[in-house]
Amino acid sequence: MTTGDERKDAIGYAFTAPYILFLLVFTAYPLLFSFYLVFHSWDLITPPEYVGLKNFYFLMHDTDFWQALLNTLIFLAIHIPAQVVFSIMIAMALAEKIVAKTFFRAAFFLPVIISGAVVTILWAKLYSTDTGIFNQLLGLAGIAPVKWLTSTGLAMPSIAVMATWKNMGFYIVLFLAGLLNIPAHLYEVSKIEGTTRWQDFWHITLPLLRPTMLLVVVLSTFGAFSLFIEPYVMTGGGPLNSTMSVVLYMYKHAFLFQHMGYAATIGFALAAIILLVVLIQKKYLDSD
Amino acid sequence: MRTVFFTIIFFLFAGSSGAIELTYWTSSNPEEIELGRLLVRQWNLSHPDVQVKMQPIPATQSSEEVLLAAIVSKTTPDVCSNILPAIMGRFTKSKAVLALNAFPDYEKAVIGRTGAKLADLFRSRDGKLYQVPWKCNPVMLVYNTAIFRALGLKPPKTYSDFARAAETIAADRNNPGRWAMAVSIKTTWWQRLFDFYPFYVAATGGRTLLCNDSAAFNSPGGVAAMTFFRDGFKKRYFPMLGFSGNIFLEGKTAMDVAGPWVIKYYRRLKPGFEFDFAPIPVPDNYKGPVYTYGDPKNIVIFATTKYPKQSWEFVKFLISKEADLKLLELTNQVPMRREIASDPFYGGFFDKNPLLRKAARQAQYVVPMDESQHLVQILDIISGQFEAAAVYAVITPEKALAIAAKKTQALYDYW
Repeated sequence: MTTGDERKDAIGYAFTAPYILFLLVFTAYPLLFSFYLVFHSWDLITPPEYVGLKNFYFLMHDTDFWQALLNTLIFLAIHIPAQVVFSIMIAMALAEKIVAKTFFRAAFFLPVIISGAVVTILWAKLYSTDTGIFNQLLGLAGIAPVKWLTSTGLAMPSIAVMATWKNMGFYIVLFLAGLLNIPAHLYEVSKIEGTTRWQDFWHITLPLLRPTMLLVVVLSTFGAFSLFIEPYVMTGGGPLNSTMSVVLYMYKHAFLFQHMGYAATIGFALAAIILLVVLIQKKYLDSD
Repeated sequence: MRTVFFTIIFFLFAGSSGAIELTYWTSSNPEEIELGRLLVRQWNLSHPDVQVKMQPIPATQSSEEVLLAAIVSKTTPDVCSNILPAIMGRFTKSKAVLALNAFPDYEKAVIGRTGAKLADLFRSRDGKLYQVPWKCNPVMLVYNTAIFRALGLKPPKTYSDFARAAETIAADRNNPGRWAMAVSIKTTWWQRLFDFYPFYVAATGGRTLLCNDSAAFNSPGGVAAMTFFRDGFKKRYFPMLGFSGNIFLEGKTAMDVAGPWVIKYYRRLKPGFEFDFAPIPVPDNYKGPVYTYGDPKNIVIFATTKYPKQSWEFVKFLISKEADLKLLELTNQVPMRREIASDPFYGGFFDKNPLLRKAARQAQYVVPMDESQHLVQILDIISGQFEAAAVYAVITPEKALAIAAKKTQALYDYW
């Protein structure tokens, strides 16, 4: 190797050094330390104590954890289809020649950039059973108050509706980009063939949006499994643990109860479950 | 340029006067910051060789999180006056705080001020006293005197009185949609310190949640308190509210459960608002003085201090008779000083502030939380069962408390 090559290598290393440093400090070290904690009990202020597989044993027998996982899957089952369907519908409308197109595009994106905590507090007030605006409006129409956040059956769907409204703007942008990439001549040919708009959607739009769809579903899955701020602010995990998500449960163990080892175990279990779900999604969405 | 350089050098050297500097953390609420500033200014003027730098505890979800983080990173101050006694178990376990018994005059300073009975409630399991009992906020029933007067009601002393008052409030045709009281339906652990816990303490004559690392709350008193809230939700005395906001101030509820810290708060938010304090209602067959949760906050000296002797002198200054008067005047919180309500030194203040005199009298009958490393989780467990038995009434109070007791035992067995 010549001196010139070595110099080029050194420059390359210098350029990548900040990233490597960032990776080591903020990703690799926390990850390795979390893995170390999986086998330890640690309350933050006294030295960690080795406990072997005790945290795994507790996890397997912890009914509250499995309840939290079930709740998260219920959220996933409502949130992801709703997000995909509404995002595609709105993206298709925004791809058309409509009046005030830029305004509508900005308006749908606005909730994405507003702080999650602020949005959640506002929606909690809207949803309030006895003093919320939704129920006051229903009352004007003579309809009895709905227990949006105080019924075990409705609380998680209510949170899913709010989360869909909050996040949809981002996925609309992705679908919009996907729609604009579909060659216009395909629609022109189908028009000559005399197909309906539904047939165009089903046989042209949807198949060609499949890569975007995979991206949206995978990103939504990550987002849905990370469900935290909404139940944390709106319900605290209630009523009767029906909105306790896995991440909220992990947070409680880590930062309320200082069970850092157990929280790390929940974190690794969640990562494994997300990997499994994404692999299943990829299998079905990525196949021709 | 040279002038600037020498000016900087001058100020650098002028700053290092050789005085010892102590760091003092206080609560971040405006009243306590004002109190801290005043006391520190007084101290610094009279102690040029030991200067104190005051800093409010950085704002976050709770002071306890900040203190734990400071212990982990060894950045604790010399003195802190916002210590929740319930978390002292963690502090003493990690040897983060100094035992005050080491100071020869601690008996006179602490026991002399607080009294042995109250001070003993804050003694650690090893028999040592690591905290100075400083102030409390006896949690009491607050009621809207205008509403009570208009409806001809008296503050309820028993559960039956409360139910009768609630029925009268609900039946008031001039004000439909008004509730007796707002009780949070959220399961956040500390919410129970302002509903179930003070009612449990009152119903049991001053018992705390634990006894020898076992649940003591699974008792007739616990069941009575839980049933009180269950009936309240069932009969719609309490609304289903996640966010209670200021609905007591808005007149949508006639009662609230709070400590004397609300006096300044209510007066600031709604001048002219009429309210009064009464003891927490007790079961109909209860006899004896009415106890409540004291919501105490104490003072500690952290083990990281390089100047324990000077820190102790500063702590004694913070609990002096004059400093306690300032505490009353500026924060409307009650110093944990024995017989304070009848002490002539404070008589003038209480004459002008009769609401505070009620709180000071109640302060003789308060209990703290148990000192347990699992306390937050125990309250979280009770909160979950409170939701099941009282808010949604899907299980009986007896079963809810039995489950909570079993889960509490599991905590000690497993963690």
